[in-house]
Amino acid sequence: MSVEHPATTIERHPMALVEDPPLYRADLTLSQVTRDIVAPLDRRPNGWWWLAFFISVSLLGVGAVTVVWQLLQGLGILGLTWPTMWGTYITNFVFWIGIGHAGTLISAILFLFRQRWRTAINRAAEAMTIFAVMCAGLFPLLHVGRTLLAYWLIPYPNYRQLWVNFRSPLIWDVFAVSTYATISILFWYQGMVPDLATVRDHKQGKWAKRIYGIFAMNWRGTARDWNHYESAYGMLAAIATPLVLSVHSNVSMDFAVATAPGWHSTIFPPYFVAGAIFSGFAMVVTLMAIVRKVYNLEDYVTIDHMELMCKIILVTSLMVAYAYATEMFSAWYTSDIYERNRFYGVHFGLTRTFFTGPYAYAAWIMVACNCLIPQLFWFRKIRRSLPMMFLISLGVNLGMWFERYTIVVSSQARQFLPSSFGYFRPTRFDYAVLAGSFGLFFTLFLLFVRFVPVIAVAEVKAVLRQPVGEPAVTLEESHA
Amino acid sequence: MLKSKAQQPAVLGIFRTPETLLEAVREAREKGYRGLDAVSPYPVHGLPEALGLKVSWMPRVTKTFFFVGAGLGFYFEYWTMAVTWPINVAGKPFFSIPAFMPVTFECGILLTGVLTFLTLFAADRLRPNPGFKALDPRLTNDRFALLIPTGFEGPKPASQLLQEVGALEVHEIRA
Repeated sequence: MSVEHPATTIERHPMALVEDPPLYRADLTLSQVTRDIVAPLDRRPNGWWWLAFFISVSLLGVGAVTVVWQLLQGLGILGLTWPTMWGTYITNFVFWIGIGHAGTLISAILFLFRQRWRTAINRAAEAMTIFAVMCAGLFPLLHVGRTLLAYWLIPYPNYRQLWVNFRSPLIWDVFAVSTYATISILFWYQGMVPDLATVRDHKQGKWAKRIYGIFAMNWRGTARDWNHYESAYGMLAAIATPLVLSVHSNVSMDFAVATAPGWHSTIFPPYFVAGAIFSGFAMVVTLMAIVRKVYNLEDYVTIDHMELMCKIILVTSLMVAYAYATEMFSAWYTSDIYERNRFYGVHFGLTRTFFTGPYAYAAWIMVACNCLIPQLFWFRKIRRSLPMMFLISLGVNLGMWFERYTIVVSSQARQFLPSSFGYFRPTRFDYAVLAGSFGLFFTLFLLFVRFVPVIAVAEVKAVLRQPVGEPAVTLEESHA
Repeated sequence: MLKSKAQQPAVLGIFRTPETLLEAVREAREKGYRGLDAVSPYPVHGLPEALGLKVSWMPRVTKTFFFVGAGLGFYFEYWTMAVTWPINVAGKPFFSIPAFMPVTFECGILLTGVLTFLTLFAADRLRPNPGFKALDPRLTNDRFALLIPTGFEGPKPASQLLQEVGALEVHEIRA
């Protein structure tokens, strides 16, 4: 292509005019990277780890006992009352699956966009994805009530010769979530194989060497191995990218395909995906703010990396705010009185709106935590302050749980006729199972930081001495 | 050579930096050595080209897996919903193509992911190996190595070459 371009004085690509700070400290050596990241695996965990582990396992225990009790007693012990038959279990399901999305975004989408800063956080974020999807996957299984028959969701040849209904979004979900869990685990494990080999060759103990030797899969790191490895990694990233966008779209269709007012909305798929990335990044910030401190990884997960995540939270917060505004606008503009009633409550002689009705507290928590508080990230000082970003990220997680709560619960409580209006009140069993899911998540995450390198060692080494971002492209080159 | 099953004599030169490794690879190929392999703790940019490796065939098989998976998923939906026992659900057509798309897509992705992963294991001959013997434990940490298979001429010339291009150490091994 020979395009004459007059602006020959511009040497660099306009986007490259601002010099990015280096990704990692300039004096880091390869062996230093191995030592810093593998060292925590050699040490016995400290008191903080044991304390966190104790709390997490306790929460998990509370959740497990409650779940057993629920299986024995039935779903009636939860707050489920007609017309609100989807309660906190579905809320938790959507919440956890959303948390998972940031991990895949970091590992796959940022990989395809050549964002090299992802190397610092992708391992931990992917682990977070897997654990979050595990938590998410439990809830629909419990929600179906007869959990021991949950395998009926899978199409298998049976003596009744019946099949699942493939036209139902609930079955799309079964496929989407199980595919998502499988691909996330494979992608995570593949990325880990070279690092497990590093640990295997680093460990001195006979048993440690053998165990890491099993999981390192005979990895030698020859150029031929790397050649296929990198290609396969790129391919997995390429399929994980549309997958992650499809999963939360499918989750949103559980609602959007139904006709209930407040659910039946075409904006749901992108709205859910934006919200998922938003909440997931908040969870990554929450976790990494702690992990980098406890494991002395400040040289790897630098404040610059944290700031970049805060920027993503800010952008996705704006997307989510836009989606809320669109929902409110279309509910006002629509000729569908049931939809309008859901948000403005002006029909049937009632004047209880979305923001003043019985679920007003949830609506206001959602708006405050998801739309208003993240705006603090416009200030560079706050983006670079760990305590601030930690608090804001906790707020976002809270806000996103309540967003799902308003979607799932309050829409059902405000259906077509006043005779199908209701109010959902979670019981202590609802809260116990939610707490249990947090226990499960943190237990798994603590075991992960104990036994696996939290940072992708090989990937950090590969970008250690290379320029940040893409090399500046001159206009002459781009038209060559 | 690492690729073949039988252990063959080879010379292993260890380097400190990827640049010296690349230099050594170019030098060895200029001298006419073939069947070289290099070991590195991370994928070194430009190394496959220097070694004369072909671009991996992985993307082609991945694409095939996707279409096979999506096709099987779609056919299964058609067969269960419209052929073997069609059930009228809310008057929707038995063969409802738009509603079949999400599961078609997920089946394609699932099969692609799992088979790509297994293909990688086969291509790199990965397997659980508790008794793994490293060529050198530093090669997954901070050192780089070049492997030159030695033929009838013995290890001498290859060792000499490696030393000339600045290898820290040179070992004669069977790999």
